[in-house]
Amino acid sequence: MSKKWSLVAVVAVLAALVVTSCKPQVVEKTVVVTVPGEAKEIVVTATPAPVGRPNILRVNLGPGDVPTLDPALATDTSSVQVIDMLTVGLTRLDEVTLELKPGMAEKWEASEDGLTYTFYIRQGIPWVRWNGKEVEQVLDENGNPRMVTAHDFEYGIKRTCNPDTASDYAYVLGFAVKGCNELFNAENWGELTDEEKQALIDGVAAKALDDYTLQVTFTTPAVYNLNIIGMWVAHAMPKWIIEEKGDRWTEPGFNQSYGPYALKEWVHDSYITIVKNPFWPGIESSPQASIEEIKFTMLDASPAFAEYEAGNLDVAGVPLQDMDRVKADPVLSKELVIAPMACTYYYGFNTSKPPMDNVHLRRAFSLAIDRQGLIDNVLKGGQEPAQWFCRPGMAGCPTPDKYPDLGVKYDPEKAKAELKAYMDEMGYTDVSQIPEIILMFNTSEGHRRIAEAIAQMWKETLGIQVTVTNQEWKVYLKTLQEDSPHIWRLGWCMDYPDANNWTREVFAIGGHEENATQWRNEEFTKLLEQAALEKDPAKRQDMYAQAEQILVWEDAAIAPIYWYTRVTCTKPYVNRTFSQHGHEMFEKWSIQP
Amino acid sequence: MAESSRVEALRTALPQRRKTASLWADALYRLSRNKAAILGGVLVILLTLTAIFAKYIAPYPYDVQDRPNANSVPSWMLAVFPMMKSYAVVSDKFLLGADYVGRDMLSRLIYGTQISLSVAYVGPIIALLVGTIYGLVSGYFSRWVDNIMMRFVDLMYAFPSLLLIILMMAFFRSTFAQSEPGTFAYAMNKIDERFGGMLFIFIGIGLTAWMGTARLARGQVLSIREQDFVMAARAVGASHLRIIFRHIMPNILGPLVITVTLAIPGYITTEAFLSFIGLGVNPPTPSWGSMISDGSQAIRTYPPQAILPALALSITMFAFNFLGDGLRDALDPRLRGTQ
Amino acid sequence: MGRYIARRFLWTLVVLFVLSLVTFALEHAVPGGPFDREKKLPSEIIKNLEARYHLDEPYWKQYLRFLNDALIPRIAKGEPKSLLEESLIDIKLWDDYHLRWVNLGPSYSSRSRTVNDIIREQLPVSFQLGVAALTIAVLIGIPMGIIAGLKQNTIWDYLGMSIAIFGVSVPVIALGPILVWIFGVMLKWLPPTGWGAKPPYILFFIPKDLSWNFWRYVIMPAFALGLGQSAIIARLTRASLLQVIREDYIRTARAKGLPERLVVLRHALRNSLIPVVTVLGPMFAAVVTGTFVTEQIFGIPGLGKYFVVSVTNRDYPVIMGTILLYAIFLVLANLVVDITYAWLDPRIRYE
Repeated sequence: MSKKWSLVAVVAVLAALVVTSCKPQVVEKTVVVTVPGEAKEIVVTATPAPVGRPNILRVNLGPGDVPTLDPALATDTSSVQVIDMLTVGLTRLDEVTLELKPGMAEKWEASEDGLTYTFYIRQGIPWVRWNGKEVEQVLDENGNPRMVTAHDFEYGIKRTCNPDTASDYAYVLGFAVKGCNELFNAENWGELTDEEKQALIDGVAAKALDDYTLQVTFTTPAVYNLNIIGMWVAHAMPKWIIEEKGDRWTEPGFNQSYGPYALKEWVHDSYITIVKNPFWPGIESSPQASIEEIKFTMLDASPAFAEYEAGNLDVAGVPLQDMDRVKADPVLSKELVIAPMACTYYYGFNTSKPPMDNVHLRRAFSLAIDRQGLIDNVLKGGQEPAQWFCRPGMAGCPTPDKYPDLGVKYDPEKAKAELKAYMDEMGYTDVSQIPEIILMFNTSEGHRRIAEAIAQMWKETLGIQVTVTNQEWKVYLKTLQEDSPHIWRLGWCMDYPDANNWTREVFAIGGHEENATQWRNEEFTKLLEQAALEKDPAKRQDMYAQAEQILVWEDAAIAPIYWYTRVTCTKPYVNRTFSQHGHEMFEKWSIQP
Repeated sequence: MAESSRVEALRTALPQRRKTASLWADALYRLSRNKAAILGGVLVILLTLTAIFAKYIAPYPYDVQDRPNANSVPSWMLAVFPMMKSYAVVSDKFLLGADYVGRDMLSRLIYGTQISLSVAYVGPIIALLVGTIYGLVSGYFSRWVDNIMMRFVDLMYAFPSLLLIILMMAFFRSTFAQSEPGTFAYAMNKIDERFGGMLFIFIGIGLTAWMGTARLARGQVLSIREQDFVMAARAVGASHLRIIFRHIMPNILGPLVITVTLAIPGYITTEAFLSFIGLGVNPPTPSWGSMISDGSQAIRTYPPQAILPALALSITMFAFNFLGDGLRDALDPRLRGTQ
Repeated sequence: MGRYIARRFLWTLVVLFVLSLVTFALEHAVPGGPFDREKKLPSEIIKNLEARYHLDEPYWKQYLRFLNDALIPRIAKGEPKSLLEESLIDIKLWDDYHLRWVNLGPSYSSRSRTVNDIIREQLPVSFQLGVAALTIAVLIGIPMGIIAGLKQNTIWDYLGMSIAIFGVSVPVIALGPILVWIFGVMLKWLPPTGWGAKPPYILFFIPKDLSWNFWRYVIMPAFALGLGQSAIIARLTRASLLQVIREDYIRTARAKGLPERLVVLRHALRNSLIPVVTVLGPMFAAVVTGTFVTEQIFGIPGLGKYFVVSVTNRDYPVIMGTILLYAIFLVLANLVVDITYAWLDPRIRYE
């Protein structure tokens, strides 16, 4: 008699555990109820809850197919957005505060010199894949589920640096991990012997000491190392499936991942569907997902917003031309949110081409841009006028509250004074004596509007009429590198949220736009090299502030214009966060039923 | 013997027969009787005059930006498009409203006739000239001449014109931009600037437009070639040249003129398409194509910005088409001497 | 006639070869390469990328490599190890051996697709849309043209031709968003964007599901696209009919006492269709390989955007693949048109 009771009790407890641990999504539940006095099992079916909204989120990624879902090969925001849902790096950023949090590495220890870090990888996280019906764990040849190990991270890092992979962003990893540069820069890689190749690969300083300990040696004790090591290019990658399927391993059915979501379907140029991975236990920086399924469409901005208004998309960016209507619409204006985005729009100068080789003239041009007027009348997206290059919010970047007078602001009087200083220096008496100045941009609607407006501002304030011209995108990029015009436009978006990624990587000697600006300042570069290693955040910010002052004021190599924002409408039934770093963390979102 | 008085009376009573006129004079006469064609012709002349005297007709320059009044609409437009009431800036300064940086739409439309009419004249003229002659020759001299010529047309059809246009743009805008005054390159560059950076686009359109006309002409020629009057002309000993231009060509002109006038919006749409993908006119030069392309992005918020240039295009199309119809009717040899 | 067709095929090969040469020359002459990015890549990275795609070889070698991959079938064992080895046609023989033919190369912009994939998965979509649009164009255009031609200078003529002119002058860029706004967003009768079919397809381009679920996506874009084309067809039909109606043999047919309907349909129409058919050939080839604007406005995953985007991205294999594909369609369409001439007008002969 007592045996039967204890059996029933155990079953009841187990059933209760199962019931309470399930998320309240499934509406039907069978509960085993014990009736006192009778050793009988009665099965009770709970009444189904009313059918609410399906737990599916529909988002638009942007026009064009996602170029790749291979972490080693991804460079653009669409790819990274999906990849960051499928896999998690050693560290993971909080998307709202941009704080660095532990990711797949629970904790880490640094060596004395700050160059060698030991990461302790979380245990019990399996590789999974979509098998056509559901997400299942991946089994190895012995039938045991494969877990994510330090070996997978070592493989991933080395794979990115390997020239055979031909990864675009290997160079970013090369800023941090020792030995990576040597690997992808290898001379005559194709002609090396296998041993020589293996030696170079082994030279990459990322080593798995055991299944769950990863040791990485960095090139410099820079503050941003932990940022870079958490980027998608250093995620764990499944060696077995990559070697088996080659380039096709990212296709649905073969794709293996371990993060909050798994890849379900990919119809090229149309949409991608990812589905919740129930085996992801959830960590602080990346909890278990609430939304079951996410469908990413690949539409242009205008059709996407039309779909949003028709109720077929839950989140959509507001196209510039519809801004006025949306702001005035009673329903849409409530759904509208303007959030900061980690990008800067700027005009650069070719500092070696007369008349732009004179710093007074450059300052005059920079001061004469009515940034707020541009934002209010042309851009309409609530953007922020940029006083310097690096976007506030990035680690180390100065912020307008702390440094209100840093950099450059709209000041027509000062602009005219600088212009006068230039003309006196050159001995001009009239603006018509100034040689022709060309403003160039890559052909696009948005850039054209801005260029026309700014050219007009220069005419009104300084009396100088610049020649506005445009070139096709690739031709333009080539022109910038080979023979850039007096004034050219570009934007920069972050790869990792640190000032180093901005001011140093772009404008220091050897930076991306060295050829376009023809500006090489030793003091500036040295300052930035030191700032990369400075541990005290206040001191560090100061150093970057100094650097920015040189960049946009003392030498006025560029004229920063605005810091990007994102204007999105979100349906009221979506609970969401607004990411500062360019892609969303959908595992933190939820849908009200 | 003197004619009887009865005959004389008849001769004075009956309407005088027209003197036998040449084909072209006859055509002109018949054209003048077609009211719709006259209307079309008048419109075309008006448009051309607008393009030539745009500076004097337009109320404002096409590039002056009144940024606080961007996207403004006049009050009468609000009656037509009431949905804009909640957000549109109302200003009666501009008769047809302003564009996204506050430039007068009416002035931009007027100046836009310059580019759009240039596109409308240059492209079809090249197409008609080159295509007709090409098709005539190909269709008349059959067999392997025809074969080779048509295979070349196939090649040109599939030609990567977009690549060519980008290449020409890159070449013109970089190399030619730094050329010395007095050279050919400099002259070309100046012409290009005058056209708002569209010179080579015209060339590109012309290069890629004649094939349709050629195939059409050839098809017609194949059909007409076997007819009796051609055989008769040949029997009489007429030279090939005479047969082609005197006998065959007038008979094929009908559908050709129609196609060519119909193709005009195609050219303008091509120009709009190039603007759409970013290869169009240099700012701030206006053209209907780029205005339609710009406006279509804002079509749900500020419909007039796309509808107005589309309307201008439609009116132009009506004009060209009625004129074209009239021309076809006038040039049809079968109607000669009638009416 | 058979010999004529055979000779045309031979000429087609010549045309394709010349075209591939011209395209190859042009694409390498245009400044800018596939790896020029807004964030400039370090030269070593570019070196690795170029090595992978054989872009560091001399031009003639690259061109020969392309011809080799595209034209020569090869037999290999097992699955392709990398994207660079895949082909459009992959037939499994015995014993794990494969016969592979027509490898058009990988895409430089999309690291997980080849040109073969793009064509195989997205050409059918453009094809479906194109055929639907052309059907609408012909079904509306030809009857409208006939009526306008027969009732010349009456209200029917002016009305028909005005609609035609309007259809031709409002480009899809403007018409598309208007349709989307009215039928997709306001009335919600039709889906604003998207396509109702996805790979794999039956017989290369027929979707598996032909229910309303598929057609509801087709209606708006096919109409937007077909309206402009129908205008051209209508006006051409009318002009040509007007010409043919005045011919002697038509007068004879009427004199014989034939009912007007037969006169028109059996005698006049056939000859007046020659210009229409001439125009339909290239129209078919153009529309069926995809239209950039329509597909972008309606979010249709077709081939159209690759014609443009491949050029702006300097994605050489995609440029070559799309141009050659278009050429093949064009040549075939023109061949069909030329054969149709002979059927429509018995006076036309081919030696």
